[in-house]
Amino acid sequence: MKPWPALLLLPLLVSPLHAADIRFVTWRDTQGYLEPLIADFEAHNPDLKIVRDVGPHSSTEFHDLLAQKFRNRDREMDVFFMDVIWPAEFASAGWALPLDRFFPREAQKKFLPATIRANTYAGAIYGVPLFVDAGLLYYRKDLLQKYKLSPPRTWPELVEQAKTIVAGEKHAGLTGFSGQFKQYEGLVCNMMEYILSNNGDLWDETRLSGALRFPAAQEAARFVRDRIIGEIAHRGVLAYQEPESLALFSEGRAVFHRNWPYAWAEANDAHKSKIAGQVGMTTLPAFPGGSSAAALGGWQLGISRYSRRPELAWHFVEFMTRAETQRRIALQTGRGMAREAVYRDPEVLEKYPQFRMQLAVSMRAVPRPTTPVYVPLSNIMQRYFSTAISARDSDIDRLARHADREMDRVLDLLRPRAAR
Amino acid sequence: MKRADRAAVWFVLPSLFLVALFSIYPICASVRLGFYRTILMLPWLGEKFVGLENYADLATDAVALQSLGVTLLFVGASATMEVLVGAGMALLLNESFRGRGLVRAAVLVPWAIPTVVSSQMWRYIFNDRYGLFNFLVFGRDTSRYIAPLAEPWLARAAIIFADVWKTSSFAALIVLAGLQTIPDELYEAAEVDGAGAWQKLRRITLPLLKPALLLALLFRTIDAFKVFDLVFVMTQGGPADATNVLQFYGYKKIFAEGMIGYGSAIAVGVFLISLALALLYIRLIGARVLEPGAAR
Repeated sequence: MKPWPALLLLPLLVSPLHAADIRFVTWRDTQGYLEPLIADFEAHNPDLKIVRDVGPHSSTEFHDLLAQKFRNRDREMDVFFMDVIWPAEFASAGWALPLDRFFPREAQKKFLPATIRANTYAGAIYGVPLFVDAGLLYYRKDLLQKYKLSPPRTWPELVEQAKTIVAGEKHAGLTGFSGQFKQYEGLVCNMMEYILSNNGDLWDETRLSGALRFPAAQEAARFVRDRIIGEIAHRGVLAYQEPESLALFSEGRAVFHRNWPYAWAEANDAHKSKIAGQVGMTTLPAFPGGSSAAALGGWQLGISRYSRRPELAWHFVEFMTRAETQRRIALQTGRGMAREAVYRDPEVLEKYPQFRMQLAVSMRAVPRPTTPVYVPLSNIMQRYFSTAISARDSDIDRLARHADREMDRVLDLLRPRAAR
Repeated sequence: MKRADRAAVWFVLPSLFLVALFSIYPICASVRLGFYRTILMLPWLGEKFVGLENYADLATDAVALQSLGVTLLFVGASATMEVLVGAGMALLLNESFRGRGLVRAAVLVPWAIPTVVSSQMWRYIFNDRYGLFNFLVFGRDTSRYIAPLAEPWLARAAIIFADVWKTSSFAALIVLAGLQTIPDELYEAAEVDGAGAWQKLRRITLPLLKPALLLALLFRTIDAFKVFDLVFVMTQGGPADATNVLQFYGYKKIFAEGMIGYGSAIAVGVFLISLALALLYIRLIGARVLEPGAAR
């Protein structure tokens, strides 16, 4: 069904005296694109008012906030941002509204395929993709040029280059690398990029069993512990999420930096960054014998099953994810968008030539496995990674075996379903 | 007598009703949930009665046991320090000096700030780039700045410190109340007998203060067991689970992972430990209170 017939009913639903509120659970908009968009939407729809409910930056905390609202069957939430890993869970728990009647297959084809896959659970679609993220390596062009180095292709090469540059520069605050190593969801993304680029895996989806104990995964964790934390990155990164790690890079205090596409515009913004114009961007390194792996991230808009006005909510979601809006956000922020057309838009490409490469990375980015028990699995992995990399003498083999056993127990919960 | 009893029942009834509604009902509900396996994200599993399985799992769950250790450390360290600091504050506030009323009010300020707000404040203070902590320790040399909340032991110390900062004044209040029940005649008599300040403190103040000190310790121990907001705001249980206290672990199980049954079992565990502590303290205090007047 198309959205239009439903929209014709709008005047009947909304009394002219009462503007209807649409509650939108979102994060703090540091890039300033949300406010004008919402103002625009309200200008075109005088009967609707978007009430923003601002949640925490950390995806983990944002998830817990949403889960709490769903558990309380909160009718004061209509539209919400959804991390790429949540649709399966929210669908399985019956919290997210299936959107097939609004968002048919034809319309889905305009989006990057991986984002649609991430929003599909048991054949139905639960979110409309807006942002696409894929892990990228940022570097200081000026410093690499000064030392006649080309961007590293392997992780050991990155470590060597970082050491050379930090030793050569007489700048006391300079470190080699900054990434996200706090115990939170971002840690799983970072670590998965090391493990997958060493031909390892987080877990085996067909055999429903953890894969952290295998040599490839263990080697990668050991590399991060011994060669990165406290070596080329200062130990503070163990408490870093994206904003802190980017701030360090933008202050000119890190040679290399792992982040999502949004960091490009931020690091090149002369108002916020001391290194504007000196930033390079490339695919993440791999281990010798492996190939570069970028974690797929991104944010979608979903509609709550408990929303009192799903049609109106859809009206807003459609506006927020339509081609023109995504183009506008891309132009303003340089963030990776979910609609493929954005990457072919001449104006966008002129302002952000890196979008060509970003499309290639986003097309190949690896999603974290889609499962309703993602959160418990992620908590086990976060615990394991954090413990494994924070202490020099951590017993990675024992910790990894233990984490695998715990993952197996969670994955076992899915078995009866599979057998049925 | 009978009429008075009946009247008493009516006076007690409203608070009994509130206790039943807000304490007894949730406790019973948690105990019930703890016997079931309910997983929000897997509704097709249903609500299966599993008896003591959740508790058996809990007893062998390495994360839960480590978390219990962290909680005990937090409780032991923070409650002890709070009572000590609080007793010191109370002794000071009990003296008469100019502006005592103002100081008494000022001491209560940390306690009056909601924990979430003060935790946020401490999180900023311990930030590795712009935190006051680093500035005080290392001055302007930003290259030496450290991230206390990224180091397991420092993070633990940080949440303990934040708790001591916040709730010592509560302990001080209880001890101060205890101090004020000590009759001045005792001190006068002691002075007549030639006792010095130290002797008065050791022989009169401290023995008579024991019930108040124990009471402060009881309140702080039980309250510290329920620590959640500090951890939620400051560390989210990290780094490497170093600050993953039991209540936070249970919260994660229920609200993040949707494991209602298992999370409830954790909550019940915390409840039972607090209850045991409370009973123990009540016995201790009961015995002590009787001691001075025990003229058989």
